[in-house]
Amino acid sequence: MEKREIIAKLKAIVEPYIQDEEAFKDLSEDTDFVRDLKINSANLVDVILDVEDAFDIRIENDEMERMLSVKAALKIVNSKLEAK
Amino acid sequence: MIGNDIVDLNKSALNWQRPGFQEKVFSKDELNLISISKNPKFTVSLLWGMKEAAYKVYVQQYKKRSFNPSKLNCVLFESNNGLVKIENQTYQISSTITKDYIYSVASTKTLNVYKSEIFKLEDESYLAQSESIRHLFFESFSIDYGFNLKHLYLKKSSLGIPELFYRTTKLPLQISLTHCGNYAGYVYSR
Repeated sequence: MEKREIIAKLKAIVEPYIQDEEAFKDLSEDTDFVRDLKINSANLVDVILDVEDAFDIRIENDEMERMLSVKAALKIVNSKLEAK
Repeated sequence: MIGNDIVDLNKSALNWQRPGFQEKVFSKDELNLISISKNPKFTVSLLWGMKEAAYKVYVQQYKKRSFNPSKLNCVLFESNNGLVKIENQTYQISSTITKDYIYSVASTKTLNVYKSEIFKLEDESYLAQSESIRHLFFESFSIDYGFNLKHLYLKKSSLGIPELFYRTTKLPLQISLTHCGNYAGYVYSR
C-alpha cells in the first residue's frame, strides 16, 4: 500500500476523535496525535483498535507504545503489512 | 513530582466495553480484578485514572512520551488508596471518589505536600475547559503566593508538561491539570 493511501486511511480513522480542527486540516506525517490533534488518551485506544481493524493487523502493546504520531503509525502499519 | 487525572463517570470517553479495549490497557491482574468486580465500569475508570495520573509523573521523570497503559501496574489497598508501578518506579495514588467522578493524584514517595482542587464545569468543549481550569488554577495560586494574576501564564513543554511563568520567569513548581466531561482539577506542589 502506498504511503499516501495509508495516511489518507489514518486521517479518516482519527477524524471522530480530534479536538483541534486546524491541526486536523493540516495533517501530515509530522502530526502528533496528542500534542497537535488533542486526541485524549482514552480515544487513543480507539485509534489503535480502528487501525488494527482497517488494515487487518495486530499491534502488540509494546509496539503501540511509540504510536503517538502519524509518522510512527505509518511505520508500524507498513512493517505489519510487509510481514503479512 | 506530581500528576493528576479526573474521570467523569457519566461522560468519559472510555470505550471500555469495546472488544480488545481492555487488553490494550490493562495487565492480567487488572483484567482479573475487573472481571470479578461488581461494578466493572467503576473499576475500569478507577484503574484508568490511576494510570493516567502516574503516567504524568513518569513522563516528567524520564522525559520521554509513550503510550502503553498496560505497563503501568495498579495495586489497590482500598478504592481510594493505591500504587502504580512501572519499571522500577512506584507512585503513590490517592483518589477522591464520588458518584459523579473519580479524581486521582499520583506522587513520588518523597513528596509531602501539594494543593489540589476539583471543579464542576458546564461548558464541555475542549478549549473552554482547558481555559477554565488554567484560570481557576491561576486564581488560587495568585492568592496563595501573592502573585499578580495578570502576569501568570502556563506553557506546555515539548513533553506536554505544563510549566508556570510569572512575567518571563519560570517558577519552580510542579503542576498538573486535568479535565473530563463536566469535571476538572488542578494539583501543584513546590
